[in-house]
Amino acid sequence: MAKKWGQFVRGWMTKNMELPQDVMMDLPRITMIGQIHIYIENHRGLLAFSDKELRLLLKQGQLLIRGKAFVIKTILPEEILLEGKIDSVTYISDTD
Amino acid sequence: MKNQWIEFYRGLVTVKASGKGIERFINALTRSEINIWNVKNHGTQSVTFKMKLEDVKKIRSHARNSDCRIEFLQRAGAPFLMKRLLKNSGFAAGALAFFAVILLLSNMVWGIEIKGANPATEYQIIKELDKMGVKKGKLQFFVDNVESIQRKLSNNIEAITWVGVELKGTTYHLQVVEKNEPKKPEYLSPRHLVAKKKAVIVDMFVEEGRPVVDIHDHVQPGQLLVSGIIGKEGQTETVPSKGEIFGETWYKSEVILPLKSTFKVFSGNEKVKHALTIGNLEIPIWGFGSLEFEEYELEEKEQRVKFLKWELPISYVNKTFREREQVTRIYSNKEGFEAAKDLARKKIKSSLDENAKVMGEKVLHQSIDNGKVTIAIHFQIIENIAEGQPIIQGDSE
Repeated sequence: MAKKWGQFVRGWMTKNMELPQDVMMDLPRITMIGQIHIYIENHRGLLAFSDKELRLLLKQGQLLIRGKAFVIKTILPEEILLEGKIDSVTYISDTD
Repeated sequence: MKNQWIEFYRGLVTVKASGKGIERFINALTRSEINIWNVKNHGTQSVTFKMKLEDVKKIRSHARNSDCRIEFLQRAGAPFLMKRLLKNSGFAAGALAFFAVILLLSNMVWGIEIKGANPATEYQIIKELDKMGVKKGKLQFFVDNVESIQRKLSNNIEAITWVGVELKGTTYHLQVVEKNEPKKPEYLSPRHLVAKKKAVIVDMFVEEGRPVVDIHDHVQPGQLLVSGIIGKEGQTETVPSKGEIFGETWYKSEVILPLKSTFKVFSGNEKVKHALTIGNLEIPIWGFGSLEFEEYELEEKEQRVKFLKWELPISYVNKTFREREQVTRIYSNKEGFEAAKDLARKKIKSSLDENAKVMGEKVLHQSIDNGKVTIAIHFQIIENIAEGQPIIQGDSE
């Protein structure tokens, strides 16, 4: 109940006070440059990595990126820059 | 992306990690703030990535805690380059030593060639050069320059009239002109002896010929002293007359000497500075500190550094500062006269033959005006007054 309440307050604040959502709600911010680069902030760690697939843990759920010839250009505790040919970006929710 | 160049200076390594739980391993690394980049997958369960050299120690504990095996593949960056440079420093040192040796050898004296001297003189010259420090294997910086070698040689060796010293590369070429000791002139042709100047004859020594004058005779210049024609009337014979006729001659010498005179003398204090000049830049090597001399004379010796046959724009400069002092000499009247007399005596001696003798002197007049001593001295000199005069054939007496 308390968690839901907190989320509600945050949602309300971002809506009414025009604060950026990613900061307020710990959501990932994903920046893509065409198919070749993807830059994800606010992730919670690497789950799986191969040259065709990257799976990242988020605060809520996971992010699955598929493609070809993946190279992690930079990896920091909350940021990751991936290079390669990106075919799809999929959210996988916990709640499902 | 971080600045790659800075990473390069610090050094970086490529790591291969294989095994299960690579992802967990990477997460552990990122959480402990170890920067990794260029993470690539190679087949199943093995990745390569790059990291900083300074983080290598930290990675080991993480690797132990996970199921991964790590392997270091490639080392790059300045620290490794330095290591390699150090390992191969022998080459660089060798190259440097090579140039140093060539530079050293290019500035050595490698030969001394003496031309135009007979073996005895040559030996003497070599000995003299040795004394000066000019010999094979000496560095040219510490050897006198060509002019002073030339001067010293011609001063110290009597058998040579002139010596030309030339430095060609590393060899000294000496061109020697030997003194041909003039032989005693033998007057084979018949001659008379006549008087050179006005004199009273004091002593006579006739080797050959017939003396026509006697002691205490007063002779005029050109007067016949010893005749070269001997024998009785009608059976005369001409001979080269030989002999010495000493006559008393008179000279007058006048000297003007200021009582007060200033001149410059070296005090004996000197300072030597060594420097290396490159173009216009002068780098002192030895002899620092400023000069305390108020007045000095500067002697500069410059020696270009040679490399094989080329002269480099570098030169070794040796500067000698000699302190100069101004000395004022003031004579009293009496001293002034003495000094003037002395000077007059010296003057007369220098104008006479070696075997001339000063018999007496008489001061004609002495005065002092405007701070100057004027003195006139009359000298009585005994010297050889004979002079040869050839007898021309066909001349009748």
